[in-house]
Amino acid sequence: MIAPRPYALLAEITYRCPLHCPYCSNPTQTGNDQELTTDEWTRVIREAAALGVLQIGFSGGEPLARRDLPDLVRAAREANLYTNLITSGVGLDDERVRGLRDAGLDSVQLSFQSDKTDLADEIAGARAHQHKLDVAAKVREAGIPLSLNFVIHRRNIDRLPEMIELAESLQAERVELANVQFYGWAFLNRAALLPTRDQVVRAREIATAAKARLAGKMDIFYVLPDYYEARPKPCLNGWGQRYLTVNPIGEVLPCPTASSAIPDLRFENVRTRSLDWIWRESESFNRFRGTEWMPEPCQSCPQREIDFGGCRCQAALLTGNAGNTDPVCELSPNRARVDAVLRDLNSSTPKAFGADWTYRMNPKTVPGLV
Amino acid sequence: MQTPTIAGSAQPRLARGVRLQTDSKTGNSVLLFPEGVLELNETAQDIVSRCDGQTVGEIIHTLAEEYDIDPEMLGGDVRETLADLQRRKLIELT
Repeated sequence: MIAPRPYALLAEITYRCPLHCPYCSNPTQTGNDQELTTDEWTRVIREAAALGVLQIGFSGGEPLARRDLPDLVRAAREANLYTNLITSGVGLDDERVRGLRDAGLDSVQLSFQSDKTDLADEIAGARAHQHKLDVAAKVREAGIPLSLNFVIHRRNIDRLPEMIELAESLQAERVELANVQFYGWAFLNRAALLPTRDQVVRAREIATAAKARLAGKMDIFYVLPDYYEARPKPCLNGWGQRYLTVNPIGEVLPCPTASSAIPDLRFENVRTRSLDWIWRESESFNRFRGTEWMPEPCQSCPQREIDFGGCRCQAALLTGNAGNTDPVCELSPNRARVDAVLRDLNSSTPKAFGADWTYRMNPKTVPGLV
Repeated sequence: MQTPTIAGSAQPRLARGVRLQTDSKTGNSVLLFPEGVLELNETAQDIVSRCDGQTVGEIIHTLAEEYDIDPEMLGGDVRETLADLQRRKLIELT
């Protein structure tokens, strides 16, 4: 199969993170492997640019946990990539903001857990909210475009108006109100995180109204919890079409959650193969590329090149087979599995939906030599 | 579509955080910004590369000479392109 050219690389440079958010999409179990070194990342960045990648997102974990972040940003700029930092803000002081700006950082996406300190810190499992407010101001002062990302779930979704207000007051250019998608730790904590139908309906109205009110001033992107949708999300714009992820230990993934959601897929490592070979030739990238792999009802579906059969990780997590139609789709023979979860939550006496969650634990990966 | 009302004296510039760059894979120009990539066609490329302090009137005049066509005819296209880029917040008009 002829591989298209990728546009964006998600560089998960470390799994280490000072926050413990129960919805983290990182794997719930990681091995004892060594993180890629600065030199290895620099090579990956050059190889990605040669493949056609134009954008890089530095993510994690918390990417600021690596002291060599400015070196990696510089390497990405030298390779003509547009550089985004996806961060909790923890570890960002004046000096590091300046260092990153001078290295050529193009944009910052800062995560928030809520608008309210006590709730935000409870969700993060760490005292971080006040610091994030300072970080937002510092990023603005440095003249770097700022996006905010609020992760929405049952415990904070009713505060959407206040969160939008906070984004306005921090003068963000763009705000993402993204309902939790259920992978990694979020899948483990689904019972405590999934919002009710009433909450989702109300939140959508609030987001739509705010979008209209703030048009031209601040862009608002509202991401629905897809369990409540009738058709699946066009995950990744198709497997192995536009995106690739390199994780802290050098594995190359078509999707950041694939390594934990799809255990029977073997991922190649940049330590043993070139990025070009992995993108074009590897089994993991070719398994779900295009439309040939699709089962019915996708194979004969007019939507098949619009939603690409939905999300492979979700199919794996909910049906045990990554090659099935995403069970969110109303045409999927497995839709009943999603409906059962929703029915239980939205019944008058929800059982098994406690407020307790399991906080993300620190990973076992060993820091790189940086 | 109605021709957007953009004054000839307006000065379009790339918005903060937006970069104009040549895509080494295709040789075409692309705009890079936090959410993604926009591939520019030849006319859009000619317009955007002049969003550096020149006025809309100057851009239309220069391009009309370059393409050897009537500035009146070209004006609508240029304004439409600029209005579209402004809607996407990729350029700002001052």
